[in-house]
Amino acid sequence: MSTHRIHLTLNGEAIEAEVPGNRLLADFLRDDLGLTGTKRGCETGVCGACSIHLDDTVTKSCLCLAFQADGRQITTVEGLADGATLHVLQEAFMTHGGLQCGYCTPGFLMASAELLARNPMPSGDEIRKALSGNLCRCTGYQGIVDAVGAAARTLHGI
Amino acid sequence: MHREDFGLAGEGEGIPQVNAREKVLGCAVYAGDMRLPRMLHARILRSPHAHARITGVDLTAALALPGVRVAVSGRDVPARAWGLSHKQQHVLARDTVRFVGEEVAALAADTPEIADAALDLIQISYEPLPALLDPADALTTGAPLVHAGSNLADEINIQRGDIDAGFAQADLIHEETYRTHSQYPGYMEPMATVAATDANGRLTVWTSTQSVFLARQRLAEALDRPVSSIRVIQATVGGGFGGKIVEERSSVIAAFLATRTDRPVRLGLTRIEDMLSGCLSVPETIRLRLGMRRDGTITAKEVEILADCGAFAGLAPDILIVSAMRSDNMQRIANIRTRARLVYTNTLPRGAFRGFGGTQMLFALNSHLATMAEKLDLDVFDVHRRNAIGPGDTTVHGWKIGSCALEACLTHVRKAIDWDAKRARPKGTGVLRRGLGVAAAMHVSGNRTIGNWDGATILLKVNEDGRAVILTGESDMGQGAFTMLTQICAKELGIPPAHVTVQAPDTDISPFSIGTLASRVTINAGAAMVKAARQARSQILAAAAEKYSHPEDDLEIADGMVRARGTGNLTVPLPEICRYHIFRHGGEGIIVSASHDPETVRMDAEHRGNIAPGYSFAAQAVEVEVDTETGQVRLIESWLADDCGVAINPLAVHGQSNGAAVQSLGWALYEEPRFEGGQLSNGNLADYTMATADAVPRLHSAIVDSFEPNGPLGAKGASETAILPGAPAIANAVYEAIGLRITDLPITPEKILAGLARAKGARDAAL
Repeated sequence: MSTHRIHLTLNGEAIEAEVPGNRLLADFLRDDLGLTGTKRGCETGVCGACSIHLDDTVTKSCLCLAFQADGRQITTVEGLADGATLHVLQEAFMTHGGLQCGYCTPGFLMASAELLARNPMPSGDEIRKALSGNLCRCTGYQGIVDAVGAAARTLHGI
Repeated sequence: MHREDFGLAGEGEGIPQVNAREKVLGCAVYAGDMRLPRMLHARILRSPHAHARITGVDLTAALALPGVRVAVSGRDVPARAWGLSHKQQHVLARDTVRFVGEEVAALAADTPEIADAALDLIQISYEPLPALLDPADALTTGAPLVHAGSNLADEINIQRGDIDAGFAQADLIHEETYRTHSQYPGYMEPMATVAATDANGRLTVWTSTQSVFLARQRLAEALDRPVSSIRVIQATVGGGFGGKIVEERSSVIAAFLATRTDRPVRLGLTRIEDMLSGCLSVPETIRLRLGMRRDGTITAKEVEILADCGAFAGLAPDILIVSAMRSDNMQRIANIRTRARLVYTNTLPRGAFRGFGGTQMLFALNSHLATMAEKLDLDVFDVHRRNAIGPGDTTVHGWKIGSCALEACLTHVRKAIDWDAKRARPKGTGVLRRGLGVAAAMHVSGNRTIGNWDGATILLKVNEDGRAVILTGESDMGQGAFTMLTQICAKELGIPPAHVTVQAPDTDISPFSIGTLASRVTINAGAAMVKAARQARSQILAAAAEKYSHPEDDLEIADGMVRARGTGNLTVPLPEICRYHIFRHGGEGIIVSASHDPETVRMDAEHRGNIAPGYSFAAQAVEVEVDTETGQVRLIESWLADDCGVAINPLAVHGQSNGAAVQSLGWALYEEPRFEGGQLSNGNLADYTMATADAVPRLHSAIVDSFEPNGPLGAKGASETAILPGAPAIANAVYEAIGLRITDLPITPEKILAGLARAKGARDAAL
């Protein structure tokens, strides 16, 4: 297997790595870099637990090869908080019942963050549509939808 | 315990889960996230046959691949069989495989890639045997035998009253056969385990489990070694829904591999493997015959159930009991005859799933009651109410009902969905038709079935800084057990929840516990928590009384201070007293152990006896829209009311109810494991379709006013009850929308269109 030398910005930090051509981005993040906040849930791009931001676009990292991240910017759930200060979505997920077992949570947070970046005040239906690439088995989605709506209002100071 | 003991207005505070922060930061550690030095990666080889004899095993090529450290087959595993009531499983299949996907060999290697490659080098030869795939054929003469003897895994017969006299009193007798299918638990975290043997041969297992002590028991049996030579530690659990109680098999294989190498082993299942190896729920065919008086009173109930446990019995016999008798207790009913049989087939083992056999029977019963109400021109709510069990009642099976707010649940959902106005509106004639449906449900909180103990023990330490650590063996799988314990502890000790830590279950450290099943943790462990906290509080107050020569009964703890209640002239920070508790002659750190075992009994041979300290109830009303051209059913509104007693954490209860509503929606409309020749043909999340956020409307969850006298601070279990009414409520709503009674779940577009075509054909023929 050929390997590739890649350079990328990960959670704001420049990194360099040698990866086999068939290395999945999800495995690169989890197994090579130890960023296990990104979860594996289905290996087929359905569940969304492995969602990350690739140049500000929410991407399922199990459907992406690590070398495709060369020269790009990646944000994972570990990059969402600002030091000890939680991202407004992280706070909202906690206080509005947006999580239970927590396994889908990183993926939902990343998909929600992308939604709020392009649509700062989404309706309930827009939130549900934007998050329809992610599966949650615990919450029935209500707590998640409530959390994203609350985060949007917080960002608008309402 | 009385209502005034709670000291709060009806319910507790909806604080975030105590482990929410680590989960939103992505740093909660699930077993698949763990990495130990020199850790190996394991893989499992599975049977391609539904039924076959293993005639040859050759592991040499796999073992010869560089980086492969251990490879084993059924020939290497202990001869001792493990299981619950039926001891019939081994770590790996020994001589015979009984379903497609059964584990036949396993290996561990330096990297996942080497392990994958080595799996292809294992040679297993089989002699295929005739396979039994349809439970309806299981008891026919000449059917292939899944196990020696008979395909009948269990049979339950229950008779109460006089069934013939009951039917003779009926003005209407209605009989129907209902078919319910399996559901995959669908927790988002596929099973994962890390196992390691230390220099003394002691085994430590970190795994995703609902019960560390039941996991340890299973490992001790399967690996044929003493219980105390195994330590099980609960990793963060990414959902369970029943599938991670005791039937889960991959952790056993991971542990066995770890006993064959001096290096730690990690086994994380892929989703397809998890669908093959996690437990699907038990599919049942239910023939229900009900007699009813003109006023809606049920006079007789005759039930016949044929359930399929797949290749191994597992927990299915216990589930069969629930299907056979639990719904009888929801109603005042005297004349019953039930015959329930459980059969083996050469398909995936089936077992525990949220609701534990309740969903199947309540689909039949609620569908039936709606049908009979219509035939008798009665209001379906009145039929429910007329028969509903109430507080203080003893049921036909000897269950003693403490709190029961079933009627309040029904009243709430009727009003909330605006039932009467919506039912009065003219019937639609267009392509899209709307309909309303309702269903009622009952569940246990606790259940004395594992043995003659349904108790819970809490070890509570109060440190020298006045903060508390709880040691418990009850698992938090996301439902909020740790938060519930934290809130009770904080309230009873008079300290903020942030000053309480819950140690994750660990069989070496936690007190013996049954674990998270049967909605038992809040009612039983919560009660033990109240006792432990009160015991610690009185030790603290006694120490303060001694130190300050103040009457103990005048002291209290509030806001982290020990205070004199009457005079108000004594206010001491709690840490000062906790330090004094240690630093005096004969002192010690505060550590208390308290147990609570409810005053319940095991069922007798005739299935009588009060098995649970409390019983929870729920009702759900839904509105659906049926597209008569595509057959699609869409949920428009859902109102669910739960009688879980006092909600210690309403945020958590609403979360459980909403999650349950969507899980039942999935079972009713979308989710069905499909098999071709015994092979699961939709074993992935693209083809096994669970509801996404855009398929679900805003959900409404209510907690009705209720106080359970046997529960801690008035609480009962939540969560399982809420999954029970969804499917029949939807089926009833579909009927109201288009006049089509679906008795065979799931309610697919194909069935809707076929039913509409049949109805149209009948109408055309009549013209």
